[in-house]
Amino acid sequence: MTAHHGDAPPDEYVEAEIQSMLAEDPSVAEQGITVVRRERGLVLYGEVESPHRREEILRRVAERFPDVPITSDIGVTRTQAPSQVEELP
Amino acid sequence: MIRIAAVGDVHLDEDVVGRFRPALEELPDCADVLLLAGDLTRHGTEAEARCVAQEFGNLGVPVITVLGNHDHQCDQVPQVVKVLEDVGITVLEGTGIVLECAGGRLGVAGVKGFGGGFAGRCASDFGEPEMKAFVQTTKESADALGAALLGLDCDLLVALTHYSPVPDTLAGEPLEIYPFLGCYQLGQAIDSAPTALALHGHAHHGTERGTTPGGVRVRNVAHPVIKQAYSIFHLGDHLDRS
Repeated sequence: MTAHHGDAPPDEYVEAEIQSMLAEDPSVAEQGITVVRRERGLVLYGEVESPHRREEILRRVAERFPDVPITSDIGVTRTQAPSQVEELP
Repeated sequence: MIRIAAVGDVHLDEDVVGRFRPALEELPDCADVLLLAGDLTRHGTEAEARCVAQEFGNLGVPVITVLGNHDHQCDQVPQVVKVLEDVGITVLEGTGIVLECAGGRLGVAGVKGFGGGFAGRCASDFGEPEMKAFVQTTKESADALGAALLGLDCDLLVALTHYSPVPDTLAGEPLEIYPFLGCYQLGQAIDSAPTALALHGHAHHGTERGTTPGGVRVRNVAHPVIKQAYSIFHLGDHLDRS
């Protein structure tokens, strides 16, 4: 595992490892989450299909990278019926 | 006119069952068919397929799907297909089907598709065996789609894939991963037939609308892109006048 020390901002290897974990960890299996490095930590954004999956992502990332400050901006995709149709003449 | 509802990348498991159903119950009033653009499950297990069958089975309209890369993860494709077919969902892979709709005969040809990239920025069938195998998969998939499209006798022809046939609908994704999101050969197959509409998923950060080089309209119906239970397209106005 890539080490992350103290107050140093997470480097791109940490970013890559989290991105891989999101896709490959069976309890997550998300390829639609983007990891963005900011000065003081990482921001995760994208959409998932349930609140449970969002919580699981944050739990797994915090468990594996306890020293990396994470901000979550992950939404749950809405499932309402469409209000309009697209006409394709 | 033929009314097509479509969504992809619903990634069902037990925690999602029931979320789509209220909107799906409205389908018989507003659509002739529901097309699913792959990634029905998270890991492609038989148990997850049962969740898909529960959510998308017995809707009162025909349901036609292709599988996505997630549906292959656990190497249980035959079991997944059987669970879906047992509730009447048609699974296409290099195959097609013609439906008699009130507005005319709708032909749907489908294939999962594969990556490879787009013209001038794509993988080549050259070098290591692994690279050749990758590109060969791309070519075989596109060839199968082309043959399936050309084999259908219908009034309106639709291509259904998981991977994208054009880069247009990937806008919003990092350019560097386009070769993992689709390939131009799928677009070429779509343009080889009188296709009226191409639907795909896979690109969660992509955008809805595009066209093939031949002018066929392409729609990315990945659930995170359309942000609703499904989209509805009305096509074939000319059928009402003939």
